[in-house]
Amino acid sequence: MSTAASLHQSRKRKNGVMMTLCVVAAGIGLAWLALILGALLYKGLAGVSLSVFTEMTPPPGDAGGLLNAIYGSIVMTIIGIIVGTPIGVLAGTYMAEYGRFSKLTTVVRFINDILLSAPSIIIGLFVYELMVRPMGHFSAIAGAVALAILVIPVVVRTTEDMLNLVPNALREAGTAIGAPRWVVIRSVAYRAALSGIVTGILLAIARISGETAPLLFTALNNQFWSSNLNAPMASLPVTIFQFALSPYEEWQQLAWTGALIITLTVLALSIFARSLTGRREDK
Amino acid sequence: MSQMLSPDMTIAAEAVAKAKIEVKNLNFYYGQSKALKDITLSLPERSVTAFIGPSGCGKSTLLRVFNRIYELYPKQTAEGQVLLDGQNVLDRSQDLNLLRTKIGMVFQKPTPFPMSIYENIAFGVRLYEKISKAEMDGRVEQALKRAALWTEVKDKLNASGLSLSGGQQQRLCIARTVAVKPEVILLDEPASALDPLSTAKIEELIDELQADYTIVIVTHNMQQAARVSKQTAFMYLGELVEFDKTEKIFTSPREKRTQDYITGRFG
Repeated sequence: MSTAASLHQSRKRKNGVMMTLCVVAAGIGLAWLALILGALLYKGLAGVSLSVFTEMTPPPGDAGGLLNAIYGSIVMTIIGIIVGTPIGVLAGTYMAEYGRFSKLTTVVRFINDILLSAPSIIIGLFVYELMVRPMGHFSAIAGAVALAILVIPVVVRTTEDMLNLVPNALREAGTAIGAPRWVVIRSVAYRAALSGIVTGILLAIARISGETAPLLFTALNNQFWSSNLNAPMASLPVTIFQFALSPYEEWQQLAWTGALIITLTVLALSIFARSLTGRREDK
Repeated sequence: MSQMLSPDMTIAAEAVAKAKIEVKNLNFYYGQSKALKDITLSLPERSVTAFIGPSGCGKSTLLRVFNRIYELYPKQTAEGQVLLDGQNVLDRSQDLNLLRTKIGMVFQKPTPFPMSIYENIAFGVRLYEKISKAEMDGRVEQALKRAALWTEVKDKLNASGLSLSGGQQQRLCIARTVAVKPEVILLDEPASALDPLSTAKIEELIDELQADYTIVIVTHNMQQAARVSKQTAFMYLGELVEFDKTEKIFTSPREKRTQDYITGRFG
């Protein structure tokens, strides 16, 4: 065998080994995901019925639904997004547009990255000290604020990244036609980055809709229907947490079903977000 | 070098027409490094001037001083004077947005805005004029006709500007620039990303536009400079080496460096 051929053979062997390792690693990762989804579907689907969406969380040993928890999750998520998104988008805009070359941007980006990876329970404790203690009671609004604080870094990051992807040539073109800076940002940069920014917001919704820790210290829970923002409010994650740890079978079943609802919602949001970015790349 | 040449350059320019833009002792810096060295030249009105030279010679930099687009970036500074109709555009008090409505610019890569063909043109017009829908329709049509794009897009004005071909996108950018009624049009290698047919169309367009506008074109392509321009400036390492009528530059340049460059001996 010539040297070249033997070299080729040994490279092929190495390639084969590496590829096998990679495939196995990918397989292990995916297998857990499949197991989790499978268990969720198996256990969760069993409890899906109309009453889940029409009845309140039951007392132990009774049948019931998750209506108040679903409602609470939706309300607090919406408020969290409404409060957090403008702040996040504006901060990201500052970093990518006005302050692109400023030192402050580097500092803000660094702090934002820390906030992005901060354990959510710390956010919960922070809002507990900030709002719950002074107010003297748990409340939905405190829960929404905790969620908003979680939304901000996600939205800041994606907004900045997406605006940075907008080619400078496009900004120059907008500027060269006589448009003031804010018009260039509003009409050119935002439009070019729109699908990416929306994706970031969707991902933020996906992130907060599963958060338990920040709500435990803020909105707590509520077994009954409550639309009072100044009172404790139920939410899916906290209800799941409470019900899953309980010894009652009905509660455990509702916890599985609630987990399935959250997972499917997040999955749908992620797929929608993906399809938005996908369309952007097609262009 | 450029001081030695400046008397001749003024003569060359004056022979053609009144000067629209006069550059006087212009220096330009990227941070500490000097990219333009004491440039003095004057560009005649309603005529095409080409800037040629090897990459990094400062020809695009010079163009970007005219509408002060370089100020989007930090650490870029210009010293000297650039007079537009006798008014120094480098003056602190100069309103940049108004300046840029007078000096339009088209870039190397086509840069349609992420909106419809119609909106691409209406966008710039709307910035400084309040006009009715009917008038706007007229302006859009007129601009597209001016850029020789009307017949190709008149049935799909609501389609995205990004759906056009590269050559069409570039003509859309020219239409957009023309629509705001500038006095000067700066073209930064407008055809270098286009195929020969689209290039030919753009060149034809430049030829027509010079009846109404003062045009400055930066190009890598010497044949293009020879085809479209009335006068040509050859730049090298941030200096203006020679500025004269185009046929003079391409047939009997005064400078050896110009001669070497246009005959392909370097660059």
